[in-house]
Amino acid sequence: MQDLWIVQHSYLIPLLPLIAACIAGFFGARILKGQSHWPIWLGVGAIAVLSVALLFQTVGLLGHGAPPVRNSDSGTHAPVASATEHSDAKTVSAVYRAFTWIAAGDPKNAGTNEYFEVAAGFFFDPLTVTMLCVVCGIGFFITVFAAGYMKGESGYWRFFAYLGLFIFSMTCLVMGDNLIMLYLGWEGVGLCSYLLIGYYYEKPAAREAAKKAFLVNRIGDFGFGIGIMLAFAAFGTVSYFGADGYTPGAANGLLELAALPKMGMTEFQIQVLNWLPFLLMLGAFGKSAQFPLYVWLPDAMEGPTPVSALIHAATMVTAGVYMIARCGTLFVGNEAAMITVAFVGAFTALFAGSIALRQFDLKKVFAYSTVSQLGFMFVGVGVLAPVTGVFHLVTHAFFKALLFLSSGVVMHAMLGHLDMRKMSGLKAVMPKTRWLMLIGCLALAGVVPFAGFWSKDEIVASAWHASPLLGIVMLVTAFVTAYYTFRLYFRVFEGPKVVPDEPHPDHHGHGDDHGHDHHSHDAHHHHNHEPALMMIPLIVLAIGAVIAGLALWQGHRLGHFLGQSPSFVGAFELARDTYNAKADGAHMVNPVVFGQQEYRSESVVKAEHTSHYIFMAVSTLIALSGIGLAYSLHLKDRPKADRLALLLTGVARAMENKYWVDELYQAVIVEPLRRVGEIFFTLDKYFVDGLVWLAGFVPQLGGFVLKLTLQRGYVQGYALSMALGIAIILLVVFL
Amino acid sequence: MTSTLNQITLQHYLAVGGIMFVIGMIGFMTRRNLILMFLCTELMFQGVVINLVAFGAYHGNFAGQAFTIFVLVIAAAEASLALGLIVLLFRHKATLDADAWRELKG
Repeated sequence: MQDLWIVQHSYLIPLLPLIAACIAGFFGARILKGQSHWPIWLGVGAIAVLSVALLFQTVGLLGHGAPPVRNSDSGTHAPVASATEHSDAKTVSAVYRAFTWIAAGDPKNAGTNEYFEVAAGFFFDPLTVTMLCVVCGIGFFITVFAAGYMKGESGYWRFFAYLGLFIFSMTCLVMGDNLIMLYLGWEGVGLCSYLLIGYYYEKPAAREAAKKAFLVNRIGDFGFGIGIMLAFAAFGTVSYFGADGYTPGAANGLLELAALPKMGMTEFQIQVLNWLPFLLMLGAFGKSAQFPLYVWLPDAMEGPTPVSALIHAATMVTAGVYMIARCGTLFVGNEAAMITVAFVGAFTALFAGSIALRQFDLKKVFAYSTVSQLGFMFVGVGVLAPVTGVFHLVTHAFFKALLFLSSGVVMHAMLGHLDMRKMSGLKAVMPKTRWLMLIGCLALAGVVPFAGFWSKDEIVASAWHASPLLGIVMLVTAFVTAYYTFRLYFRVFEGPKVVPDEPHPDHHGHGDDHGHDHHSHDAHHHHNHEPALMMIPLIVLAIGAVIAGLALWQGHRLGHFLGQSPSFVGAFELARDTYNAKADGAHMVNPVVFGQQEYRSESVVKAEHTSHYIFMAVSTLIALSGIGLAYSLHLKDRPKADRLALLLTGVARAMENKYWVDELYQAVIVEPLRRVGEIFFTLDKYFVDGLVWLAGFVPQLGGFVLKLTLQRGYVQGYALSMALGIAIILLVVFL
Repeated sequence: MTSTLNQITLQHYLAVGGIMFVIGMIGFMTRRNLILMFLCTELMFQGVVINLVAFGAYHGNFAGQAFTIFVLVIAAAEASLALGLIVLLFRHKATLDADAWRELKG
C-alpha cells in the first residue's frame, strides 16, 4: 500500500480543503460572495474522488490468504487459535510522514519518554480508508446541499470557510498516525463545531449553544489530553505503529507496546494501562455525546441544518467511536473499561431515545436520535465487536445525514418552522422529500433491507452474546427508535394537510430576493421547495441508505475489509489472549466481529447463522411493532396520543423536559462555578487591585510627608537640611 | 616664648578655620536679615580659605594659596550676584526679612 500514488501524496487530502477554506475565508467577503462555495466544492470534491480511488485500490490490495494453522475442531463451540499463536494475519497499511512537527529532547533517547517526537504523519489502513470515504464523500454531498440551502445568507463565505476548515481537521483526525495528530484534528473539529453552531451569532441561543458545545467537549478533551500524556510517559511514544508503519511482530508504536505481555512491563506501565482507557473514553464520551457529556448535541441544532447533518450526525461525533476502534489494543485488555463503554453506550442509547419520544422539534428528535445511535456504536465497540460499531457508523452517516438534510428542506418550505405540531400532511406539498425522508426513517428504524437494519442487528446480536441484559436494553431501544422515528414521519408527512402561515421569527430572509410578500401567502404558493441542488445530494444519500447496509454486510464484506487493519488484528489478538483463557465456550471472543473470519471453526459458522436469523427476525418484529404503535397513535387516531400523554403526564413531562438534566447541570455545576468566579472577581477587584493601588499610593504619601516637613519655604530650614544631609553622609562613609 | 609659639601646629589653624566655618553656618541658619545671611556665607568662605592656606603651608607649596585666590575671586563674583538678588527681592517685598519669602513653600 505504501507505493500508491495517493498515499505518497496524501498531504493533499488535508491540504486541499485547507487551501479552499483560506480562499473562501480571505476572498469570500468581498470578492467571491455568493460564489464562495466553489473553492470548497473543488477542494472537498477532489479529496472525495481521491478517497474513493484509494478505497478501490485498497480493496484491490486485500489478500485472501490461507487461514493460519489451527487446532482441529473437536466439535466444541470454541473458536480456535491458541493463545500462543503468532499473528500471521494479513494486514494492509502504509505510513506517510510529511515532516517532523515536534521534536523535543535528545534524539539519542528516542523511544523513551525523554524524547518527544511527533511527525505530521498519516497512517493508512482499511479503517482509515473507510472513515475517509465517509467524511469526504458525505462531506462533499453536504457541501453541495449547503450551497442551495444557505443561498442568500449574509456570511455565506464564512460558512463555507468554516466547512473547509472542518474537513481539514476531520481528515487530520482520521488519517493521523499518532495520538497528537488525532488530538489536533479532535480540537480542530471542536473549534469548527463552535464556529458553525454559532454561525447565527446574532441569536443569543446560538451563542450559548456554541459555548456549551465547546466547553462540554473540553471536559472530555481534558481527560483525553491527560491520557495521551500518561501514555507517552509510560511508553515513550505517541505514534500508533512507529515511524516505519506496521510490521508484524515488531513493537515500535504505542498500540503495539500496549499489547505486549504484562510480564515484561514496568509497574508504571501497567498502572497507566489500567487508567488509560478510562481517560481516553472521557474524550470519546465528550466528542460523541454520551452520558453525561451529551448535553451539547441537542443545543447544537441552533446551527444551520447542513452543519447538523455533517458535523453532528455523520462525522465529528463519530470521532469517539473511531478513536476506540483505532486504539483497540489500549482498550480491550481492560475488562472494566470495556464494560464501562458498553454500559454507558447502552444507557445513553435508551435514555436519549426516551427523550426523543416527546420532542416536537424535528431537528431535536434527530439530535437525540443521533445520541442514541452513537450509544449503539459504543455498545458495539464495548462488547468486543468493533466491526459492528464501525459498520453502524457508516450506515448511520448515510441515513442520519439524509434525515437531517430532509428536515432542512422541510424547514425551508415551512418558513423556518420545525415544530411538528404546526405542520402535517406535507406529502402533498413536497412529494420528493417525503419519499426520501421515508427511506431515511425506514433505515433508522431498522427495517429490512434498509441500511440501518443490518448494522443495528449486528450490534444487538453481539450485545446479547456478551450479556443478555445488554441485549434486552438494545432491543428496547430499537423499539423506541422505530416508534419516535415514525411518530415524526406520520405527524409531519401523513394525515390532513396543515401548514404554518407565518414565517418563524428566526427565519432568515431568503425570500426577499423573490420579490413577493411572505406573510399573506400560504406556503404552498412559495418558490420551488425542492431545488435540484438540494435534492441531488438527498437522492445520493438515500441510495446509500438503501444499499449500503446489505452491500457491506453480505459476505462479511466490511468485516473482511476492516479485518486487515493492524488495529483490528492487534485488538483481536489482545482480546483473545486476555479473555479466552478465562472464558467458557460460549463467551469466547468472536473473531468475526474483529474481521478475523479465518479464525473461525466450522461448527461456529453454523451456529452463527442460526442465531443470526433468529436475531434478524426479532429485530424486524420489534421495528415493525414500533412503527405499528406510531401508526396507531399518530396517524390513525391522533387524539389517542394526547390522551395517552395526559394519562402518563409525569413521565411525558420528564421526557419532554429532557429529564431536567440541563437544569441539574446548571444548578450543580454552572451556578456554583459562576459564584466562585464572582468571588474571585471581587477578590481581584478589591484585594489585588487594592495592592496595586497601594503600590502607587505609598510614594505619593512619602512625597506628601516630605512636602509638609522639608519644604516650608524657609530658607534657613533648607540650609539646615543640607547641612544635616552632608553630616549623615559623612558619618556613614567614615564610620 | 618661642617654645609656646612652636606649639602652634596645623591642627590649630584647621580649628580656627573650622570654627569660623561653623560660626558662619550657624549664623546663616539663624539670621533673618538677608544681608547678614550673606555676610555669614562670606564668613564660611573665609573659614575654608584659612584651611586651604594652612594646608598649603603644611605641605610647603603654593597650591593652597593659589586655590585661595580662586576662591576669593569667586566670592567676589558671588557677592555681586547675591547683592543684586537681594536688591531685587527687596524691591518686591520692601523688607530684608527672609521670613517674608515663606510663602514659597510646598
